[in-house]
Amino acid sequence: MTPAPRTSLLLLTLSLCLLLLAARGMAADTPASSPQQALDYLLKTKLPDSSVWWPNIKSSLFTANLRANLLAPLAMYQGTNTNFCGYAALSYLALHDDPLAYVRFMLALYTDGQATWGATHFNPSPAIHTAAGTLRLKGILDIRPADQLWFLCLADHFKGYLNFFFPRFHPGSEDTFWAAVNYGKFNRIIHELFGYNVRAKGSDLIRPHIPDLFDYLSDCLHTGLTYLYVNNTYLHKKNHNKFKGSFPTHFIVLDAIRKIPDQPDRIDIVYWDYGGRTLRQVSLRFLKKITFGVTVCTKEPAPPTP
Amino acid sequence: MKHGLSYRLIFLTVLAGTTSCTSLNITNYYHKHRYTLDGMEQVYQKAYQARHFSIEFTDRAFDHVSLEFDTDTLTYIYEFAVGERRMQDTIVKYGYDTAAINNLITNMQSMECTWINNLDYYANETRHSLIYISLWPKAFNLPFVNKKYYILTYFSQPQYFDAEGNLMTGRRLRRIRKINGETFRKINAKVCYTISAQFR
Repeated sequence: MTPAPRTSLLLLTLSLCLLLLAARGMAADTPASSPQQALDYLLKTKLPDSSVWWPNIKSSLFTANLRANLLAPLAMYQGTNTNFCGYAALSYLALHDDPLAYVRFMLALYTDGQATWGATHFNPSPAIHTAAGTLRLKGILDIRPADQLWFLCLADHFKGYLNFFFPRFHPGSEDTFWAAVNYGKFNRIIHELFGYNVRAKGSDLIRPHIPDLFDYLSDCLHTGLTYLYVNNTYLHKKNHNKFKGSFPTHFIVLDAIRKIPDQPDRIDIVYWDYGGRTLRQVSLRFLKKITFGVTVCTKEPAPPTP
Repeated sequence: MKHGLSYRLIFLTVLAGTTSCTSLNITNYYHKHRYTLDGMEQVYQKAYQARHFSIEFTDRAFDHVSLEFDTDTLTYIYEFAVGERRMQDTIVKYGYDTAAINNLITNMQSMECTWINNLDYYANETRHSLIYISLWPKAFNLPFVNKKYYILTYFSQPQYFDAEGNLMTGRRLRRIRKINGETFRKINAKVCYTISAQFR
């Protein structure tokens, strides 16, 4: 028994649609380039021993830093007591999705003093040219000139309302609001710079209303890369003061969330920040209390081939 | 009326005395408890070399402890009530030295030490490490006043100090070294202190 021609045509159309959807889904999950491609590019690109644009950066340390970022992207660290955590969290996306674009951009920036990523052109101010490579007493960031340059250039280029009183870089600005990233700016950078679709829920002051946070976050993790905008005075406690500020100060990448058997109100969360992944047991109430924003990043689907 | 004024003056004097003595006694505090504090540092250093971890007391009563186990892929953070069976099981599960960690927890309780950790710092593009001990003695726990912590840092080699005893970055580069954003002062060639609003 052969199917009628109309049924066959319908089946064929359906199969083609499914194939197209699968291809789009694969394109959305697959990184744009691999670390090996980026390492090869780094290896074959000759850099001058020093750059006139970056007088305080030695090329040997610069390339060693880029190589370390490509080999261990999770180890990128914003530095002790700086406000670069937003930019470090953004770097997670760049280093995981398109390390080749990251290396191309960094090498162009080192060689020419300015560079373009996607549609965004970076032309750092003279203060940034001088400061990159000089940040000290910041932990491993002291010996990571490429990371200093990257964070400083991002902070110099992207501005938000927190920069109202801190528009320009001065020595020490890395510890001030000049280097801070508010929630709107964070989402804008992901969309503008990396071309991702951003679904964001939350704000700088008021927690989002999410009735079932566990289910919501589980769903986000299945959809795309998920950032949480959290109150770090609770997550990474530094004192025992009873009165703490009730506002978000930190970005983390949520990696996994799961319920703990026999403990209905407690969960395991795995997240990335401060140059490493952490597994921590918290109560759902605690997670709800500290979460001010949830951002889910998905790739723009590739245009269908004609 | 006169008596009321005198009582108020006495109260204010006692209050001022209690709060101001924080900056005076840290060196004395260290020398008084040196045996225990240095012992903690040595136990921690030895245990840390085998496997990386840190210990934090999360409450004022020193009843709850948070253990951070650093592995190659993940840092695990667990909080326990001191003496809880689950804590011993977890220490064994991750292959840590149970005796060393229990010894540290007991001594941290007795010394009112809220955090012990190993910190990296960089000098001349070389990594060094120090042991960071935060103390939170009850004497300085005034209500409605932000908490202050005594911080002790143990270096593995003698450090450079200026004439006022401030910790410097090196012999040639005469710059004040900050650790965690704080300036430190000399207790002896390898041990420094500061008073901070943050325990880490």
